[in-house]
Amino acid sequence: MTKNVRKRRIKNLLALSLCSLCALFGLTILGWILFDVAVEGWKALSPKLFLKDPAPPGVMGGGGLKSAFLGQGLMTLTAAVMGIPIGILGGTFLAEYGRNLKVSAIVANLSDLAASTPSIVIGAFVHALLVAPFGGFSGWAGSVALAIIIIPLVLRTTDETLRLVPWNLREAALSLGASYHQVIWSIIYRSSLSGLLTGVVLALARAAGETAPLLFTSFNNNSFNWSLSSPTASLTVSIYQYAASPYESWIKLAWAAALVVTVLNLGLNLTARLFLKSRKY
Amino acid sequence: MIEVEDLCFYYNSKNALKNVTLSVKENCLTALIGPSGCGKTTLLRCFNRMHDLYPNNRYEGRIVFEGRDILDKSIDVITLRSSVGMVFQKPTPFPMSVFDNVAYGLRLKKINNHNVLKEKVERALTRAALWEEVKDRLKESALGLSGGQQQRLVIARTLAVEPKVILFDESTSALDPISTQKIEQLMVELKNDVTIVAVTHNLQQAARVSDYTALMYLGSLIEYDETANIFSKPKHKLTEEYVTGRFG
Ligand SMILES: Nc1ncnc2c1ncn2[C@@H]1O[C@H](COP(=O)(O)OP(=O)(O)O)[C@@H](O)[C@H]1O
Ligand SMILES: [Mg+2]
Repeated sequence: MTKNVRKRRIKNLLALSLCSLCALFGLTILGWILFDVAVEGWKALSPKLFLKDPAPPGVMGGGGLKSAFLGQGLMTLTAAVMGIPIGILGGTFLAEYGRNLKVSAIVANLSDLAASTPSIVIGAFVHALLVAPFGGFSGWAGSVALAIIIIPLVLRTTDETLRLVPWNLREAALSLGASYHQVIWSIIYRSSLSGLLTGVVLALARAAGETAPLLFTSFNNNSFNWSLSSPTASLTVSIYQYAASPYESWIKLAWAAALVVTVLNLGLNLTARLFLKSRKY
Repeated sequence: MIEVEDLCFYYNSKNALKNVTLSVKENCLTALIGPSGCGKTTLLRCFNRMHDLYPNNRYEGRIVFEGRDILDKSIDVITLRSSVGMVFQKPTPFPMSVFDNVAYGLRLKKINNHNVLKEKVERALTRAALWEEVKDRLKESALGLSGGQQQRLVIARTLAVEPKVILFDESTSALDPISTQKIEQLMVELKNDVTIVAVTHNLQQAARVSDYTALMYLGSLIEYDETANIFSKPKHKLTEEYVTGRFG
């Protein structure tokens, strides 16, 4: 009896130590990466980064990544404008109008599949669809690729969030003479606003951190222009290209950009967490 | 006021109401009693066509209200629901301020003038015996009210659109005795100008507040009469057994 107990305790301790070690290992790696990015990025950070376009290697004073910031911003915004409404309305269909339909379950599953598709596949797909036939990389293609990443994420969080709103609130509003779309607008979206925002912000964070879908679609550009019909720079692709280059000034730019992307992403994730905390249901 | 004629109701193939015929009297409180699962809620939800929300639900028979068969396809359920209000078992405050809750149905009717809204909201809250308790917190979230207050808020919200009929589905069963008493009192006062149909599984409550009582069993209406008769000289053996607590 006591022997059994001791054996169990030892097993417990072993399992606990092993798990803790693995967790520690993961955390250490993560901490290391963040630390490196912070230190190296901080050293390379300067106002020039945001104000100047990239300079050829060796040019005195180096350049900046102005075109990448603007390009990334514009493409993410365009992707958001395309992807968020589709995601929200699609999720609303699944959770509300199509709640009991078989097709909704199928769409939900497909959407989960799409959300876990390697993003390079999405890049290749949009390349075949919008780059190859139109004779070149473009910001539009990049935006579409990012929108394709955003849609399934927003769709599923919307679906799940709306389902959390107690069913009887809908009946209560209907019993006052509301039509179903009024119930959705005035009660359901309002009740689940923070959940919806969480989904949107997380999807944006995910899209803003992607490199692969942009590499095949918007590629890169040393200058920025507001029309998305030419190749368009992004931070992630710039990091990818500059970090792999042999030039010290470019590598420094990559570190600085990496820091900015990391901070942005952390910020978005924290924002999402705040929204989640204020959830009503 | 409401004539139910030979009403049958089906959830898919499940026959939940069997040839129910009864006549709800104007400005009276009619209680629906019976063991759970006998079809009380199902009958109540026919009166505002709430069943329409779900596919494969089917009505047969007629319910005549204000001279028209409200089960007819041509009836506009939105208009119907603004004259037949409903209060549910659990309080259903909307996640918005006390004021906006009560104004919800009015705004649906495109009443947006602030002074008109204010006046109507105050009147509804007063009728629901809640005005004194919330008049200083109209802008606060309704989710912060107590359960009993929330239920009276829902009643005020229903009253605000001035329905002719209000349906109560075990609306006090989730509340404490004091809140229950307040709401019972309210129901008695309200029947001066609205017709009330209330489902209750509480026989004492039915005896205390209702004018007419209908006993249902397995989807059928067993007996329908003045409450005094149901409780003191029931015609059916089943009714007698039920009101004396021998089954149910
Ligand atoms: N949505 C539904 N689908 C199928 N059957 C239902 C549904 N709702 C209720 N029923 C059935 O209909 C019968 C009457 O239910 P209900 O009207 O809720 O009873 P009560 O309110 O008297 O307790 C019960 O047998 C119940 O199981
Ligand atoms: Mg019931």
